[in-house]
Amino acid sequence: MADTHAPHHHGNRVEDRRLVTGTGKYAADWSLPGQLYACFVRSDRAHAEIVSVNAEQARKYPGVKRVYTGEDALAAGYTKYFVIVSYPGRGGKHIIKPPRPVLAARKVRHVGDALAMVVADTAVAAQDAAELVEVEYRDLPAVVSAEQALAPGAPQLHEEAPGNLAFDFESGNEEAAGAAIAQAAHVTRLKLEVSRVAPSPMELRGCTVRYDAADGTYHVHVCIQGINMMRKQLAAITDVPEDRIVVHAQDIGGSFGQRSAAYPEYVAQMMAAKELGRPIRWISTRAEGFASDTHGRANTVTGELALDRGGKLLGLRLDWISDMGGYLSATGSASHTRNPSTCMTGVYRIPALYGRFRLAFTNTVPVAAYRGAGRPDMAYVIERLVSQAAAELKIDPAELRRRNFIPKEAFPYKTPTGSTYEATDLHGVLERALKFADWKSFPARRRRSEKAGKLRGLGIATVIENTGAGLFPKDQVEIEATSAGGIDVYTVSQSQGQGHETSFGMIVAQTLGVPLERVRIRQGVKPLIGNHTGGSRSTAGAGSACKLAALKLIQQGKSLAAERLEVEPSQVEYAGGVFHTRGSKRKVTLGELAGKKPINVMAEGTFGPTFPNGCHITEVEIDPATGVTRIVAYNAVDDCGNVINHTIVEGQVHGAVTQGAGQIFGEQVVYDRETGQLLTGSFMDYCMPRAGLVPHVRMQDYPVPSVSNALGVKGVGESGCTASIPSLANAVMDALRPLGVPPVDMPFTPARVWHAISSAKQKSQ
Amino acid sequence: MYALNYVKAKSVQEAAEFLAANPEAKLLAGGMTLLPTLKQRLARPTHLVDIAGLPELRRIEAKGGRLVVGAGMKHHEVATSAVVKKAIPALAGLAGEIGDPQVRNQGTIGGSVANNDPAADYPAAVLGLGATVVTTKREIAADDYFQGLFTTALGEGEIVVRVEFPLPKKAAYCKFHHPASGYAVAGVFIAQTAGGVRVAVTGAGPGVFRWSAAEAALAKGLKPAALESAKLDASGLNSDIHADREYRANLVRVMAKRALAKLSGKK
Repeated sequence: MADTHAPHHHGNRVEDRRLVTGTGKYAADWSLPGQLYACFVRSDRAHAEIVSVNAEQARKYPGVKRVYTGEDALAAGYTKYFVIVSYPGRGGKHIIKPPRPVLAARKVRHVGDALAMVVADTAVAAQDAAELVEVEYRDLPAVVSAEQALAPGAPQLHEEAPGNLAFDFESGNEEAAGAAIAQAAHVTRLKLEVSRVAPSPMELRGCTVRYDAADGTYHVHVCIQGINMMRKQLAAITDVPEDRIVVHAQDIGGSFGQRSAAYPEYVAQMMAAKELGRPIRWISTRAEGFASDTHGRANTVTGELALDRGGKLLGLRLDWISDMGGYLSATGSASHTRNPSTCMTGVYRIPALYGRFRLAFTNTVPVAAYRGAGRPDMAYVIERLVSQAAAELKIDPAELRRRNFIPKEAFPYKTPTGSTYEATDLHGVLERALKFADWKSFPARRRRSEKAGKLRGLGIATVIENTGAGLFPKDQVEIEATSAGGIDVYTVSQSQGQGHETSFGMIVAQTLGVPLERVRIRQGVKPLIGNHTGGSRSTAGAGSACKLAALKLIQQGKSLAAERLEVEPSQVEYAGGVFHTRGSKRKVTLGELAGKKPINVMAEGTFGPTFPNGCHITEVEIDPATGVTRIVAYNAVDDCGNVINHTIVEGQVHGAVTQGAGQIFGEQVVYDRETGQLLTGSFMDYCMPRAGLVPHVRMQDYPVPSVSNALGVKGVGESGCTASIPSLANAVMDALRPLGVPPVDMPFTPARVWHAISSAKQKSQ
Repeated sequence: MYALNYVKAKSVQEAAEFLAANPEAKLLAGGMTLLPTLKQRLARPTHLVDIAGLPELRRIEAKGGRLVVGAGMKHHEVATSAVVKKAIPALAGLAGEIGDPQVRNQGTIGGSVANNDPAADYPAAVLGLGATVVTTKREIAADDYFQGLFTTALGEGEIVVRVEFPLPKKAAYCKFHHPASGYAVAGVFIAQTAGGVRVAVTGAGPGVFRWSAAEAALAKGLKPAALESAKLDASGLNSDIHADREYRANLVRVMAKRALAKLSGKK
């Protein structure tokens, strides 16, 4: 493999020993003296009025301290949910944010909606008593499809949102796109589903809240992506001042966007912790998770791509309908409007763009950001349209892309939807990938598969995404040099598996010239300004601040050393943790300088956005008798800027590719169309990808350093999803197209693929 | 899980007596179906009577033209047993394809046969080979034993002690794994026995069944073409979000053909 990356760390990730030997500390590992246990009563129906909640028997159950219901949430005023979107939509109209009591009051809107909370001495007593809570419902008709929810006559979820429309957003130029499509020699049209998925981190959701009456502070121990974002949300919902909420977290077992929100359960626990004066602990079950942890994606998109006879792209118009579920989540409305719109032009120069994005309420679990947060969805739509157009116009799909790339000289490129892409080398990435994947000799491989009775398909996706969006204006990092020679680095960016301790540790260790073992990364323990980990932003943001803080430490150390060594600061040089005078042998170490009191420095900055991009070329083989698809080749060339640690970059890409493949080949949350019941409520029915799904992922780095941050890095956490989803779908369609199979939607399950093949065969007979 | 009482039985006899005296008690062997059910509070037995590891349930032997497998044998043990591999390799292969390594090292043949999950693998072998289920009370022929969805001929308090398989001339099993659960969406066991060709299908219907049209077709010769035209009524097959009837019917035919190819030594 080409050595195109920066020097890398050859050892294991420094956090892995802790994480794989069971000594990590996750949400369920916080156990506080005197804690009580909460259990939630959840709706078993999709849409109903709550006629009454009778908790009399539950209250009498041994060990039960208190039963809270929606009426308690109303009384506390905990009804305004935090939603990050504040920008206006079409016609200047703002998003509608209906109230969401932290325990559902008067009405339930999805199966799993929490409507009461039992608090007891033990978890079993709480669960037993929860079963004794009698809820009388008046059933209402349910709607579980966003398109149907927006249709006239659909059941209405919130009186504040007529027609179930939460937000109507647009981007680009409607007139220009319309004209381009009307006049074009060729228009490719597709209607595509980006299926609803359950992110399913390995760690179950959990929270323990302690209220300290002495100073009126809530201590919230919870699985999160960052302490600041959690605190801000909890404060917004409860009106408790931010400085009276302390969020505690150490290790997080996966997140993928699902752990960014202040879920209603946590706020209900705050209510109880204060009233009962004891810590309140709740750990979700996997079944509860399926019915209450936010889902991802869930878009239905109609796309029209206009081209001239030579395959030049002229215009793109998208009608985007997103399923928000029963309530707005914190992030879903942004991840389904602004995020996809910012990269709506993909990697192509398209003169006219227009997208309309409508967010609908349905009787399902709320939808939030999920790895890539709208960008994979957009890449999927564009890349399927481009490959479909190539097939219709009989142009090689790589060639069609090549003809339409934003040319090198056009960077920084201002897109018609308001992004400014920093410099990339799209042609360079493509040519490298074509060679890497041996694109030209695919026909021979296809013939070989045919001989074995298999259908082989070749898929390509060339993608770009904007990363680095944050809720907070800057990222701060503090470094403390201790007398023992240790370097403690404080950040509020929270690793959920990304390996910050290794990456950030290497940045600081390399800048200071000290061994990695001397550097300790501490997340979320000091009140700094900064963003959570999400949107592929941490290395560009907090990582850059790490570097700046380390440089600052050297500067400050030089002044201190100058005093100690009795020379001018300009006469002090630094190398490998030691300050020495120019031209003499007198020296003092960083640890000695910190002898009496630690040296603290803080650095901050605003970094990004970055625009990671890449080309993933994949091949699949389909068994036409069963519809089973196997990925037989996966070749990825990624420009994620400078690489700090290649192993970590590979891990991020592998994980994201697997999540993308999971969505393409099996994952899908399914609700019953009539009853609104969740049909994929466990791993017996929800098809999580297994290791065998994705064979060896061949990777090459193609770094074009970013100019938007101190390290030259680009976000890599999500790009594997963004590229794998369209590439694999295009490979499947390429395998099926010769049989006359019309466009098929994900997930390409064996049954769906087999049906597509057999109906095409019947038609051709 | 609801609170319950746990009893460790010292013998099958003791377990049977306990069950007779406590009608709401449940047997626990590997627990691979029972434990998840309990954890989700979908069952509320008064007692769990643990028979795992009882020596009288733990034997594998081939004698007198029969392979005897004790009810307490775990899937992994059957899959890796030299005796089973020699006597009925298809049975060892089937056991090795059940669930995942954790399940195979915990679940037992007796539990699988007693539970009769419509998508379980063992019922296909038991029916396909025309085995005999031996209980604490009697011997039951496979054809009489399986009675559809989680239903068997077992009476109250009756415990499966062992399964006796007559040795076939040849046998093969082919299974389409459920993409999420790993259970059989369709599994077909074909055996050439002294009494003729038997074809048992699991996963596709509400319970394991014999595909008689295929048996009749194959009686004239073990030819894949015979399966192509063998009648299979899709209307009685299972249909769910993963696989509708039509697809399942196709899978039954495809798995049957692949089992036949295995049987004939073709891969």
